[in-house]
Amino acid sequence: MPLASYQTSVPVVVDDAKCIADKGCTVCVDVCPLDVLRISDISGKAYMAYDECWYCMPCEADCPTGAVTVNIPYLLR
Amino acid sequence: MSSPFESYDDLEDADERLQAADPAERRVAIIALGHSGDPAAVAHLANMVADPDAGVRQQVAMALGEFDGSEAANALVKLLVDPERIVATAAADSMAEFKDPACAEIILPLVKHAHAFVRMGSLRALKELRSKDTLKPALEALQDSDAAVRVQAIGVIGFLKLEESIPALTALINDPDAHVRRAAVSALAFSQMKPAAETITRALKDSDWMVREMAAETLGLNVNGAIAADQLIACLADEFWQVRLKAIRSLGRMKVERAVRPIGNCVNHDQANLRKEAAAALGEIAHSDGEAFLAVIADDLDPDVRKNARWALQQIAARKARAGA
Amino acid sequence: MAPDQIVDGLSEVSCDVLVIGGGTAGPMAALKAKLKNPKANVVLLEKANVKRSGAISMGMDGLNNAVIPGYATPEQYTKEITIANDGIVDQKAVYKYAQNCYSIIEELDSFGIRFLKNENGDYAVKKVHHIGTYVLPMPNGETVKKALYRQLRRARILISNRYMATRLLKSLDGRIAGAISVNTRTAEILVIKAKAVILCMGAAGRLGLPTSGYMFGTYENAANSGDGYSMAYHAGAALANLECYQINPLIKDYNGPACAYVAGPFGAFTANNEGSRFIECDYWSGQMMLEFYNELLSGKGPVFLQLKHLHPETISEIESTLHKVERPTRGLFQQGRGVDYRRESIEMHISEIGFCSGHSASGVFVDDNARTTVPGLYAAGDMASVPHNYMLGAFTNGSVAGIDAMEFADSHDFADFDAADVAMERDRVMAPTKREDGIPPNQVEYKTRRLVNDYLQPPKVTRKYELGMRRLAEVREDMQERMIARNAHELLRALEVQSIMDCADMAVHASLYREESRWGLYHWRTDFPEKDNENWFCHTLLSKRDGRMTSEKRAVDPYVVPIADDERDLYDKQRIRATA
Repeated sequence: MPLASYQTSVPVVVDDAKCIADKGCTVCVDVCPLDVLRISDISGKAYMAYDECWYCMPCEADCPTGAVTVNIPYLLR
Repeated sequence: MSSPFESYDDLEDADERLQAADPAERRVAIIALGHSGDPAAVAHLANMVADPDAGVRQQVAMALGEFDGSEAANALVKLLVDPERIVATAAADSMAEFKDPACAEIILPLVKHAHAFVRMGSLRALKELRSKDTLKPALEALQDSDAAVRVQAIGVIGFLKLEESIPALTALINDPDAHVRRAAVSALAFSQMKPAAETITRALKDSDWMVREMAAETLGLNVNGAIAADQLIACLADEFWQVRLKAIRSLGRMKVERAVRPIGNCVNHDQANLRKEAAAALGEIAHSDGEAFLAVIADDLDPDVRKNARWALQQIAARKARAGA
Repeated sequence: MAPDQIVDGLSEVSCDVLVIGGGTAGPMAALKAKLKNPKANVVLLEKANVKRSGAISMGMDGLNNAVIPGYATPEQYTKEITIANDGIVDQKAVYKYAQNCYSIIEELDSFGIRFLKNENGDYAVKKVHHIGTYVLPMPNGETVKKALYRQLRRARILISNRYMATRLLKSLDGRIAGAISVNTRTAEILVIKAKAVILCMGAAGRLGLPTSGYMFGTYENAANSGDGYSMAYHAGAALANLECYQINPLIKDYNGPACAYVAGPFGAFTANNEGSRFIECDYWSGQMMLEFYNELLSGKGPVFLQLKHLHPETISEIESTLHKVERPTRGLFQQGRGVDYRRESIEMHISEIGFCSGHSASGVFVDDNARTTVPGLYAAGDMASVPHNYMLGAFTNGSVAGIDAMEFADSHDFADFDAADVAMERDRVMAPTKREDGIPPNQVEYKTRRLVNDYLQPPKVTRKYELGMRRLAEVREDMQERMIARNAHELLRALEVQSIMDCADMAVHASLYREESRWGLYHWRTDFPEKDNENWFCHTLLSKRDGRMTSEKRAVDPYVVPIADDERDLYDKQRIRATA
């Protein structure tokens, strides 16, 4: 069976202007218990690659520059 | 395949990375040093306390919190007096993590700093170090113009648990700030001597309900608390049910028999928490006069009240049985 | 380049003690093992990253079971836990915990883990329960993991992040020999030979399915997919009382903990729609959940956590903990809905089922030295059978496991395993990556967990369980034959689904075996509605024998702290009947 991708609004938002992943920072990617964050090959910034979040917050709390925000997603609100 | 284990070679090119032109790169290097757990990282971090970038200095302050001891303390005291608040706040938080008493003498001079934030941060860090050398400066800090500094100084003194500080703590019962008075009452709990109990008893009449609540609770922890039995009974008419609740708990714990009636009169209060506490205390005192009051709430709507009433009646019955035998 | 591309690779390392799971019990076990023998190699293997992994990823807001001198005694605590678990308790392990946990608190305090203290430096212990006083708040408890990580680095533990253990290795004579794991970002296989292995892999918190529309709830760390139960099972270890599920009260829709233990000491309580308390039983238990369940269905619901009767200043104090520690997004959630605790109560619900000895009594069977039934294999924390562990139990029993495992390693050499076992496991692990076409792991997982909700959620009906078993077997076949993983991250999820499926099967088997009702809602069987002490006052042990799932009875060890009949009665009188 062929697979289709699926639209979803992701809870973790990264402010590219503040993110220093392109300078070698990997804090948010490291601390994520579900390993859903990655650093983009194109922008060099962190982003949520997989929508598998449990809203635990270390990515936001540990980000050294305050670039990460965790939102409560629509279906939970 | 590379090594499956976390590296312990974080310091290898640390100096080079700490000198990167880009502050973000310096930050990344500092984060790695903080996580390294290697005590040798402290020297590298200490070199960075004068970095021109406030974000970098903040990161240094956070990283130093991962270590303990004089060397880290020496670096952190410089960051606690940083003009940027984000740096100073991070330094205060990190310093509060210290456990090594040797840090005390390094932090101590800051207790007299011109800025209240620095005085507060240094006293907060000194609490857990429990060094006797801090007693005198902390006692002096009780006169500080800033209430938040006075609260931290109380903690330093309270953690030391020295009877000689009782008079100074007692004097704070008249402090204009309610947080200070509340902290002083809490600190006095270390003493099991009468003077402390007498001071806390006076606090039962404080103008602030949270001070009264703290006093009522703390008396139950003092072996001489019973000298305040009448004043605690008077608290059962306090306008705040929260204060009454703690008074009931302390009277129950002290098994004050003449409190049975006044406690019993609380069983009709509309706050279930208070009815529950009254029932539990009547059980602890276990005097037969409590039975009539407990009968009133045996079928209370609140299951916790019923449960405590049932238990209390059993305690009274058990005491009667013991007396009979 | 797409992330997480699959790399073909296999390597092998060896160590004296291997600790699997770097959440709560694991770091403590690793640390204690290393301190016991500083020359030995201790590996801490973690599916995520030990910096922020496990149930306490974002810290913990309090200890619920602290036995602190002057407030509670080990005897009293042991009694309470025995009664809360309907008597099915091997007291020796509970009593040992109760005796040791205060020294662990002091040790954690020395690590920089922050407990609430009075201004005199004493722990500010709070009374929540009817008889004992066990609650120690941690309003600044968000840095627990940071403090633990610091200790691990200082002791130079060999930390291996982003490796998921999949199976244990054993020698022919049944002794533990190591484990096989897979990198979650490259799919490379890592074989770890070890003289002793400690499993600290957390709860099975991803068993039932939340109704939110998302697969992951907010109560358990979703990484806790029951891998430890599955691995122990396949290694032939016994698992105790799995029919004693865990079901929790939670904030409706948010699906996370409301933490009544934070608000309780301040006077907050769980109330029905009339604003009245309704929970009769004192200690957190299946009985409590049954009362919760009944209230929700009675017409007196919804159920709320009520704070509005408290003073605004008190509420602010509660908020500062609730919104900063353990699950900080609760604040964000309430804010989004405009809920102000001063005016409005928090709507509560009960969770889906899971396994977790944190608040319940099931898990990989261990004795008071944290030893499983497999020589050289240990278990601690939420996945081990010591009841009502909570965080402090994980630390305390993790410590016991670490010390005993190092003693075992010091007196044993490596056991030999069959290389064919590794080859077979590698084939099993990699199978979903070898298929061109098939079903993605998230769909297999959704279906499995939806079936768990439909058929396994109590009340347990025999006929439903039989149907559930059939449906699950069909999905298992799909999982084994048709599931695909297109990258290493999907492979991680695909492997987790297999743990979830194993746990679902064990839940069915264990539940059908115990032909009575016990532990309130946790094991309420409509076909056997009564508690049957004559036939079932015993543990049940589930294990794999000759490739098949079997269950047997095991007598409860003689009590070390006797419980008088009238004490038991006092509790029983507070209870409502399961059939109410």
